[in-house]
Amino acid sequence: MRKWFARLAALGIAVLVAGQAPAALAQEPAAGKKVLRVGATQAVDSMNPFLAVRVVSTQIHRWMYGFLTVPDVKTLQPSPDLAESWTTSPDGLTWTFKIRSAKWSDGQPVTADDAAWTFNKIMTDEAAKTANGPVVENFESVTASGQDLTIKLKSPQASMLDNPIPIMPKHVWESVTDMANYDAEKYPTVSSGPYIAVEHKKDQYVKLQANPNYWRGKPKIDELQVIFYDNPQAAIAGLKKGDIDLIGRLNPPEFQSIQNDPNIVAWNTQGRRAAYLQINHGATTSDDKPIGDGHPALKDPKVRQALHYAIDKQKIVAEVQNGLAKPADGSIIPPMFKDFFWEATGDEKVGYDPAKANQILDDAGYKKGSDGVRTTPDGKRKLEFRFSIHTDTPIEDKLAEYLTGFFKEIGVTLTTKKLDSSKFTEETGVTALFDIAISGWSVNPDPEEVLATHLCSRRPNAAGEGGGTESFYCNETYEKLYQEQLKELDRPKRAELIKKMQEQLYTDAPVIALYYTNDLEGYRKDRITSITPIPEDKGLLYGGSGYWPFYTVDVVASSAGGSGGDGGSNTGLIAGVVGGVVVVGLAAFFLTRRRKGAADERE
Amino acid sequence: MTAPLDAAEPAVQAAGPAGRDEERPSGHGTLRYALSKAGGALFSIAMVIVGTFFVFRLLPGDPVRNLAQGRNMTPAQLDLERHRLGLDKPLIDQFVDFVGATLRLDLGTSYEYKRPVLDLIGERFGPTLLLAGTGLIIAVSLGIWQGTRAGWRRGSRFDRFSTGLSLVLWSVPTFWLGLLLLMVFGVGIGPIPGLFPTRGIESVDAPDGFAYLLDVGMHMVLPCLTLVAVVYAQYLLVMRSSLLEEVGQDYVTTARAKGLRDDEVRRRHAVPNALLPTVTLVFMRIGFVVGGAVTVETIYSWPGLGQLFYEAVRVPDFTLMQGTFMLITVSVIIMNTLADVVYHWLDPRVRSA
Repeated sequence: MRKWFARLAALGIAVLVAGQAPAALAQEPAAGKKVLRVGATQAVDSMNPFLAVRVVSTQIHRWMYGFLTVPDVKTLQPSPDLAESWTTSPDGLTWTFKIRSAKWSDGQPVTADDAAWTFNKIMTDEAAKTANGPVVENFESVTASGQDLTIKLKSPQASMLDNPIPIMPKHVWESVTDMANYDAEKYPTVSSGPYIAVEHKKDQYVKLQANPNYWRGKPKIDELQVIFYDNPQAAIAGLKKGDIDLIGRLNPPEFQSIQNDPNIVAWNTQGRRAAYLQINHGATTSDDKPIGDGHPALKDPKVRQALHYAIDKQKIVAEVQNGLAKPADGSIIPPMFKDFFWEATGDEKVGYDPAKANQILDDAGYKKGSDGVRTTPDGKRKLEFRFSIHTDTPIEDKLAEYLTGFFKEIGVTLTTKKLDSSKFTEETGVTALFDIAISGWSVNPDPEEVLATHLCSRRPNAAGEGGGTESFYCNETYEKLYQEQLKELDRPKRAELIKKMQEQLYTDAPVIALYYTNDLEGYRKDRITSITPIPEDKGLLYGGSGYWPFYTVDVVASSAGGSGGDGGSNTGLIAGVVGGVVVVGLAAFFLTRRRKGAADERE
Repeated sequence: MTAPLDAAEPAVQAAGPAGRDEERPSGHGTLRYALSKAGGALFSIAMVIVGTFFVFRLLPGDPVRNLAQGRNMTPAQLDLERHRLGLDKPLIDQFVDFVGATLRLDLGTSYEYKRPVLDLIGERFGPTLLLAGTGLIIAVSLGIWQGTRAGWRRGSRFDRFSTGLSLVLWSVPTFWLGLLLLMVFGVGIGPIPGLFPTRGIESVDAPDGFAYLLDVGMHMVLPCLTLVAVVYAQYLLVMRSSLLEEVGQDYVTTARAKGLRDDEVRRRHAVPNALLPTVTLVFMRIGFVVGGAVTVETIYSWPGLGQLFYEAVRVPDFTLMQGTFMLITVSVIIMNTLADVVYHWLDPRVRSA
């Protein structure tokens, strides 16, 4: 009995002590220090901005480096960053930027030469093209003189001011010879933005500190940590517990799981993403030869239009996106970009109208068979389409179910085809082995890139390779409008042209926009006291363009008496004591066992 | 023999055909046996290298196009990438390059991280060994201990309870259990406080010295618990069933007749004989330790090899997948071979069979 008691007591002590440990271990940063911890469900691929392509990496680089311009916090129009002003030659081919007098975080002055070096590096070094190669494709030459940067273009380009390339310090980077294999893991980094990276533990976290030399002034917080979670559910758990303070890019179910938490602000605003269907309307290569195995009926604009009428977007938003999206009555640019957003009105607007869809197909000669499925006018093929989606995406599965139901109403059979991401990209973007596919794009403040994904030149080449099309679209009107908007430096006039391009996509329907997903994020209100979204009026936090939200953010300073810095020894002591007690407890536990064992032997 | 989980059997069978040696327990025989086994293992590894090359080339999707995902790359850029990765050479040349590089332990450069695969594996090896190794030790100890007690008193309340519980945990999906533990003990529900961290191997502002060890320890609790809970049943059941076989043997009766205490009959006589299948099982499991525990590492964002493999599949990063795949297969082969040899050395019956 006594032995049992001793054993239990020892175990009890051990458990109790172990229970105390976390309290002693909780890392309170040094008193008065302001730390923001951002959760991310993606790890950094590279800290080298010439190579990094993942969203989380480019986001972190936006907080670290300066750009020529950044989107204005109110209007999202280009506004001065490292370039304090700029002029354009009348032909639109020569741009001169005046670089402001600012300092790198190591105290060296920022000059036009740094910017020129950065662009020239990308133009001349194939490896440096990895992240932003296409951006400089239209650059003829880039030269610097003092604080003046001159960029000569091959042809006019209105999107010049939405340049996503971070300006790098020449004096630090010019010694890098093998760019393809340079991981840039040198800390603290030399940068000119609001934050400096001071530590990166791969797949665990990146630690950034406020840049005291930042030309707009030091950020309000001292430290910004980006903490990686492999699993979104675990990240939500981390937010609820307070291990992280903010997390962005949530999907509807994740968002709903934080909605009722009293400590969390559930951030739900218009997003930058449009979700659409891509329709194989007769895919061709860039030399206009047919490619792929798309269903011939989809070449008929009437069929595409009928499909459009058959989709109940309201219902999809309500039941697939849990109401956390806006049904699309426009095209590929979401409404948050007020200047460029276009929406169909009047007769042009395609609403949910299955009767009309049936009417269109009846009139065009697609007769229903005895099984209720329509056939092409020549009677050769039934209207049976494949719908390509990604594997392991519950939302796309659900969407497929609804679309199958809608299309059945108009005598069209839809079968779902699930593909892993690489196969999906190949079949829907290069080899055209699809009928209808899910698609979508996160749009930048300057929409040029998304507009370009529907250009003739983006189709795969004659050998069936390359490209970067989102639709295999090739339309003369669209092409002409694209060239015009490229040259149009007057923003309102350019916006008109861009709206016409969207109208063209809407009526011709190589893509059918379904909805614009909301930007869903969450942050702890007991930690973050203020944060300015971009745009200021109901904009984005983590997913936004530019560093504005994370430059303006303010958090509660950690309370006094914590560890870190000079308080560290204190925690160390407590932890030491706790650890000691654990060891003693365990030793006691095993000793009682041993004694029992010895007693057994003696019997 | 009623091995509840088939894992215990192959090693015994594999040990069979080579057991032609004399009965004498000579070190010589064991050495010869070990050499023949090592030869077999080398052959298997060679086959793995060849197999890996072709399997990964049969996978759907062009790696270069995949790299270009969501980005606008010109055909010229694609060609350049192909050239850089050596994908423009004839298949046979690629094969020769691949075998040569693999033999030099050059596993290539990760597409996604743009760093040597071997470096990436090296970084992840420690955390995985810590987590999966600790998990294995605890699971084996727990399994053997409970299996012994359960088998010795078959049908007792302890037997019914521990066997039942372990089987329930064995059947629970790892992912579900992991998340449940995370919710309950990581975040805290009702009166239960959130004691343990929700991610990683260490805190971002990790303390130094002894406190650091404690910090890592705290981070290990939940992943380790998950890992142990879902696997210890196999050790328990193998141990229990092999002990059951021994219980009825004559030598056990003899030991009892000598007047030995029940505990001693169990510990000194029955258990050593019953341990053999478990030893085999443990060795084979060690092979999988390096593979990490993909699910557990993913739930708890543990920076180990399992997580690396998961990332590689998610991208997909072919060279990285290839490298981790080879690492796991080769280590399983080596451990299997070791299990054969150890078994041969431990159990005279195998030598004489």
